[in-house]
Amino acid sequence: MAHFDTEYQRLEASYSDSPPGEENLLMHVPEGAKSQWHHIENLDLFFQRVYNLHQKNGFTCMLLGEIFELVQLLFVVGFTVFLANCVDYDVLFANKFVNHTDSSKVTLPDAFLPMDVCSARIRDNAFVIFVLIISGVFWLHRLVKFIYNVCCYWEIRSFYINALKMTMSELPYATWQEVQARIVEIQKEHQICIHKKELTELDIYHRILRFKNYMVAMVNKSLLPVRFRLPSLGESVFYTRGLKYNFELIFFWGPGSLFENEWSLKPEYKRGGNRLELADRLASRILWIGIANLLLCPVILVWQILYAFFSYTEVIKREPGSLGARCWSLYGRCYLRHFNELDHELMSRLSKGYKAASKYMNCFLSPLLTVVAKNVAFFAGSLLAVLIALTIYDEDVLAVEHVLSSITLLGVCITVCRSFIPDKHMVFCPEQLLRVILAHIHYMPDHWQGNAHRYETRDQFSQLFQYKAVFILEELLSPVVTPIILIFCLRRKSLEIIDFFRNFTVEVVGVGDTCSFAQMDIRQHGHPAWMSEGKTEASIYQQAEDGKTELSLMHFAITNPQWQPPQETTHFISQLKERVHREATGVPSDTHPLSLSESEPRSLVANLLAGPSTLASVHFGRDSSLTNHAAAGISDGASALRSLSPISSSLHLRGSLSAAHRVVGHTGKTMAGSGTDARTVSSGSSAWEGQLTSLILSEYASTEMSIHALYMHELHKQQSRGELSRHTWHRQESDESSDSVPDEVRSEPNPHSRHFPRSHTFPTTVPSPSAIPSSASATSSTTLGQEGASQGSNQRRYSGPPTDTFSAGGRVVRSARVPMGGWAEEAQTARHHEPLPEESSEDEMPPRIHKVT
Amino acid sequence: MNCRSEVLEVTVEARQVEEAMLALLHTILLHRSTGKFHYKKEGTYSIGTVGTLDFDCDFIDFTFVRVSSEELDRVIRKAVSEFKDALSNSGSDGMGQISLEFYQKKKSRWPFSDECIPWEVWSIKVNVVNLANEQERQICREKVGEKLGEKVINVVEVINRHEYLPKMPTQSEVDNVFDTSLKDVQPYLYKITYQITDSLGTSVSTTMRRLIKDTLAL
Repeated sequence: MAHFDTEYQRLEASYSDSPPGEENLLMHVPEGAKSQWHHIENLDLFFQRVYNLHQKNGFTCMLLGEIFELVQLLFVVGFTVFLANCVDYDVLFANKFVNHTDSSKVTLPDAFLPMDVCSARIRDNAFVIFVLIISGVFWLHRLVKFIYNVCCYWEIRSFYINALKMTMSELPYATWQEVQARIVEIQKEHQICIHKKELTELDIYHRILRFKNYMVAMVNKSLLPVRFRLPSLGESVFYTRGLKYNFELIFFWGPGSLFENEWSLKPEYKRGGNRLELADRLASRILWIGIANLLLCPVILVWQILYAFFSYTEVIKREPGSLGARCWSLYGRCYLRHFNELDHELMSRLSKGYKAASKYMNCFLSPLLTVVAKNVAFFAGSLLAVLIALTIYDEDVLAVEHVLSSITLLGVCITVCRSFIPDKHMVFCPEQLLRVILAHIHYMPDHWQGNAHRYETRDQFSQLFQYKAVFILEELLSPVVTPIILIFCLRRKSLEIIDFFRNFTVEVVGVGDTCSFAQMDIRQHGHPAWMSEGKTEASIYQQAEDGKTELSLMHFAITNPQWQPPQETTHFISQLKERVHREATGVPSDTHPLSLSESEPRSLVANLLAGPSTLASVHFGRDSSLTNHAAAGISDGASALRSLSPISSSLHLRGSLSAAHRVVGHTGKTMAGSGTDARTVSSGSSAWEGQLTSLILSEYASTEMSIHALYMHELHKQQSRGELSRHTWHRQESDESSDSVPDEVRSEPNPHSRHFPRSHTFPTTVPSPSAIPSSASATSSTTLGQEGASQGSNQRRYSGPPTDTFSAGGRVVRSARVPMGGWAEEAQTARHHEPLPEESSEDEMPPRIHKVT
Repeated sequence: MNCRSEVLEVTVEARQVEEAMLALLHTILLHRSTGKFHYKKEGTYSIGTVGTLDFDCDFIDFTFVRVSSEELDRVIRKAVSEFKDALSNSGSDGMGQISLEFYQKKKSRWPFSDECIPWEVWSIKVNVVNLANEQERQICREKVGEKLGEKVINVVEVINRHEYLPKMPTQSEVDNVFDTSLKDVQPYLYKITYQITDSLGTSVSTTMRRLIKDTLAL
């Protein structure tokens, strides 16, 4: 039997390696470049442009806006020069007669000077020519920029249309999160970034905000010389756009800057070896740039004026009172910004806080000025009334010289005076207002809490929230002041700057060099006083101030629910969310292993809700009017929050849009009572549904973030209160006004203590780093006794509606004997993981971070 | 930059520089070359063959495989010998870096020339040492051979990862991805540059270009 059925058979094919026929060749089908969007060279710029186009509501809007700006610029310069040189004002004011033969009427063209006279006058005036040249250069610069932008953004437009499948018309109504989700989606297909298969939200943020994160971190660590102690003005902040531009020029992109290109720091700055030499070089570079600034001062000044003119004429025209209105200062924006927070997120947050903030500032009108203003307004008003009455009787009165102008002047005078007279119905409750503000701005130095009624707090707040007029004035002063700051202040810090960039730069695969703070890694940059005790391994130098790491992390996790943070971070986030959620729903947490620690801040959210009742109404009313809360109702607000919090957290946990749909009706009903966003909520027709969902998601996200921010501040305060009882650093000059609620434990001031609350960004005394470490470690063990006392005072603080506050408070006091117990436990568990943090985190994640040494 | 970068470091004697560089560059290019594409009808193509040959080094105990394309070899040899000359003329501490950059071209709407976008850069840092006597040279000869062997394995490992490569182009686009000027082999578009001692600071021209670009950027 020669026939076996095995798989081993003789190969029939020929062995001929001779050139085969065409039919035997393996044929390939080229994939070709289906889209042009794979492998984009400069992703930083690309994402920035994608973001900008989204923010500017699409290509057409942007194009039109820029064209109009160009035309406007030409018009304003031309018109100003014309008014100054080509008008015969004598004719206009009828000081000179025009000898017309036929009629006595003076026409407008009569007042114009003839062409040749006009041009001669311009030619003779060197200053006008100087201004004209500068504005010509300015305009040309804008024009070139415009053309360049059109070319670039055309590409981005086609990216939106072809790759992201979004038309320009729907762009204004799409949220950035949607756009971002699509970018993440198409990365899988097109490989925009070649380093990894998938992009994360954090990567995109990192690229867009690379330098901004550095600036935020530098302000956070008080590295930039923007705060000054002036002899007469006291402490003040000077941070203008010109200064900011110079900082960026020096650090990021100017000739010889620290960065090699947009994504990587120069290698020599990553090595610690020749830091002194590098610092010297940086110092001399700063000196040169300072001198250049000084030399170019007049040019920049004219430029600034033009710029200011452009940015503000329109505003001033629209509402003359807006000069008195305030705005968030540039420094404030930097101070209040989270790491990884895009412009629109910051702006919406600050805008929500605007009303409350200006109300807060208005609380501090000087009574003296009020008395004067009231009387001036009275006299001016009576004059004005008489004039108007006369005019109504016979309008010839208007023809009398200066009557019209005095009517106008009196009107202005009354408007100004009125701004100094406080609203009759306004109640002085700065502490509550400050809490409302905090809910939106999320950051605040420790010593403001409880001192909201004091003038120092107000002054410091005004550094963040300044008069627009002051802002413009500073901008105009900036060309003169900037070189001085550069040469005398920044230069001295060059070594610190070099160290900062070396220590706080990490190279992330697929992103390049980023600021390590922006990684929002609790372990590396957490602050033990901000809930990350036991989790953080950061030294004082590495900790971000004011809980910035923790708050930024929460903010980012809440705004980007799809984001997958690293393991430990997830733990932190979910733990915090769970706590807040539990607080909000009021579920007793006795069974929880962490109940001991839970009990301490248990009443927080309840307090937040029930205590300052305005807060609840503000959250849901989106309206900080204090008189409004009667309508909104405390219980309504509370119940709304109760329903909201689990909903939004479950939303974010699941991250599913369908859940949101289910929930919309529910919350709509709950919130309808408080007459708030119910309109938006219930208007969900099918066409708007998708957008509505994401809109609602983002709105809830901001509310949720507010709650978390308040919660973390509250916890921070309670945590540091134990320390305060030993370390009362800012109580020395405290006075108790009748308005304020006592909220702090008094005790003997400790000389050591001045170092404790380390909000470097608002230092009354700059703490020396060596003295600090003792306070953090000492607190958890030694201050048991004081804790109870402080709890008692805490109860008084929120003694608004007494109902559930007391019940919660009872529990608080009972278990307050182990103040930091939960934290200690957590510290242990964290330590339990400690032996393998490097490996485990690195193994589970794709290798993300290469620490630069 | 949106491109991978790999760094290899070798320490060699002056006379070994050329062969060491050739070994590494050829190894990388061997894996980054394909046979010539022959486009047929509608969007299909066949790939020609690539011959390889072993190359024995004279000054190093090492044999490497390279593409048996004389043209490619000539190009690389030229670049390497330029690098070697520059290195020996520099007179400094004998540090240098040669980089092999793979890029693809993109047709741009921008009225300027095509953009060359790198997707992978191999930087080989060379440290030249001087040896005192023949015995040390002998040891060095073997040591460098071993080291180069490790590097070659390293290169192969990197190349074996599933990472981004430009997509196979259609006939019209083939010049944007591959260097089609050679008759017998078709490597990805590449560029060899070298640098003697990493000079501090970028050149004036790049700074100016960036300055202009940045002021223009929104």
